Amino acid sequence: MRQILVVAILIATAIGWPAPPRAATPDANAPGPATPEASSSDIDGETMFATSCGWCHQQGGRAAGRGPKLAGDKKSDDALIDRIKRGKPGAMPAFGRAFSDGQIIAILAYIRSLDDAGN
Amino acid sequence: MPTPLKRLTACATIALASVLGHASPAGAIDPAQLAAADQNPNDWLTYHGSYKSYHYSLLDQINADNIKQLAVAWTHFPGRSTRGLQSMPLVADGVLYYSGSYSRVFALDGATGKLLWSFFPELDDELISMQTHSPYNRGIALGNDKLYVGTVDGRLIALDMKTGKPVWDTKLVNSQKLTVGFTGAPLFVKDKVIIGSQGGEWTSRGPIFGVDAETGKKSWEFLTVAGTDEAMKTWGGESWRTGGGGGWMPGTYDVETDTVWWGTANPSPLYDWSGADWQKSGPRPGTNLYTSSVLGLDPETGKLKFYYQELPHDAWDFDSAVGEFVSIDRDGRKLMVHPNKGGFIFVYDRGNGKLDNVWKLADNINFVKDINPKTGELIGRRDLSAGVVNPPLCPEISGGVSWNSGAYSPKTGLYYKIAQEWCQEMEVVKTTPIVEPMAQLNIGANFKLVPPPGGKIYGHLDARDPVTGAKKWEVRYDAPPLASVLATAGNLVFVPDASGILHAYDATSGQELWSHNDGIGHVGGIISYSAGGKQFIAVEAGWGSLVGDDYAAAFGEPWKSMPKDTGALIVYSMSQ
Repeated sequence: MRQILVVAILIATAIGWPAPPRAATPDANAPGPATPEASSSDIDGETMFATSCGWCHQQGGRAAGRGPKLAGDKKSDDALIDRIKRGKPGAMPAFGRAFSDGQIIAILAYIRSLDDAGN
Repeated sequence: MPTPLKRLTACATIALASVLGHASPAGAIDPAQLAAADQNPNDWLTYHGSYKSYHYSLLDQINADNIKQLAVAWTHFPGRSTRGLQSMPLVADGVLYYSGSYSRVFALDGATGKLLWSFFPELDDELISMQTHSPYNRGIALGNDKLYVGTVDGRLIALDMKTGKPVWDTKLVNSQKLTVGFTGAPLFVKDKVIIGSQGGEWTSRGPIFGVDAETGKKSWEFLTVAGTDEAMKTWGGESWRTGGGGGWMPGTYDVETDTVWWGTANPSPLYDWSGADWQKSGPRPGTNLYTSSVLGLDPETGKLKFYYQELPHDAWDFDSAVGEFVSIDRDGRKLMVHPNKGGFIFVYDRGNGKLDNVWKLADNINFVKDINPKTGELIGRRDLSAGVVNPPLCPEISGGVSWNSGAYSPKTGLYYKIAQEWCQEMEVVKTTPIVEPMAQLNIGANFKLVPPPGGKIYGHLDARDPVTGAKKWEVRYDAPPLASVLATAGNLVFVPDASGILHAYDATSGQELWSHNDGIGHVGGIISYSAGGKQFIAVEAGWGSLVGDDYAAAFGEPWKSMPKDTGALIVYSMSQ
């Protein structure tokens, strides 16, 4: 998975680093509000997938559930990116305003890394 | 009109007149009528049938002896039923009101189905496209001369009951910022309309609102996440910013104690990875008040009178947002029965919210070994650390019970409630907690629906004592039904199932007496009412929902080809 992260970072770097992320790890002992700052997981497609996609695309995208299985998906990269950005009315939320282009590329890279064997 | 119906109607009229002391304006529903709704057999004035939340009709024109003559009287198609029809119809003075997806509202002649008016609000389509739970609607409220409906873009709207024209439209939640809005039905209490926001996996703080019923002005707002100094201390550091705790189903009102009972959703992130050290570590250290809790609120001020947290530091998404609060009087005790999504039923003292009992409804539960029925302690809780969870977690994320309601018959003394039996394989993933609005779901796991140990997924309707849980009979289903249940004085229990079959059972024995195929799965409400001297059963058919979305992969057909954008209100009466 480290390789995917590296690839995703390279791709993201090529297209421009993502907008400031909206996530941060609260520290139980922190005196003030948590401050959003960049961390490696912001561009880690696997982690982002578990955060926002795994409820529907089950087993990390390896099995069909509320949404389709994504391992081995034959759609083009452009089609998958478009689906992530625009969603599917009544079935899948549009993530185009929630995620930066770099984050969406990272999620795509994670999906493409999924092993379709045995699923 | 047959004699029993006449007698009941007369009794109800007398009872209402004594409560009201005066005649209310024609068509208007004053608070006293709502308080006495359980004695009024003709109408269905509030989501749970009455403040007692029995989902029970006193009507017995349709009964166990003549049920075979039940037939479709009329049907209404609301159109655009995206994610199914999930609401509860209401009836007042022979007019049936109901809502569909996109908060569309219809008023129909209860005897014929003739359209009286419709209301389609303009919604923020771009926001809807970004929401996970859009655009279904779970119901409406009636009070005085108005109808109230929430919207997924964070508004509460009042309509004139006679014309359907908007009277006021109040923006309560900045949904464009927080993602969540309103899908649940409002509750009318005295001069207030009370409604809870969505939210378990978002950064909102799950507010419950009290709104002036006449003017639409917000009277109060109760933050279910860290809404008091005491609660703030139960979120380590600034972790309350991760939010959750939506009050997304309508609770009820206890007239005697002047208390609103309302349940709240899980904290976010869901499936935090803190493990057994959850008091001090992980993304939200502490018990996380007032998530996965039952609240007692003052309807005038929204002030917290009491609370009981069913699952301290809920690590499993087994929230307390189920809106069913069943008032039971037993041996001088005044009790409140409330199902928790984890598959347990909690029983409280209605006077002070103290725990009286806990009993287990679902068969397959392993997120805890048990819950102490006297202290409420979660015995042997499985707090999840990062990595593979073994054995699979039971129940799965959709819960041992779902959002729809069971029914209680004062005639049989039995509580009829659906349970769901399923588990999930899962791997907890240490994600980055989302603390700023407008990000999407905030979950820390990958998971997959699997059957419970040693068998298949199944659901069951249980007939039980509501206080002790003693079981009298059970009916099993291959796929868990997801709709609400209706009991009637005709010794009947109606279960609209997931495949589209509406079943009627003998309330005493559980024997199936009648069924009819509505052609599409049910995920909504069912009621009974009287119009023109005739008893009707109205059920919503129309498949969808986040829970229902699992059925195609889990069970194949008919769900694989079942539309999730179609629905109908189907109304039955005796064919002769």
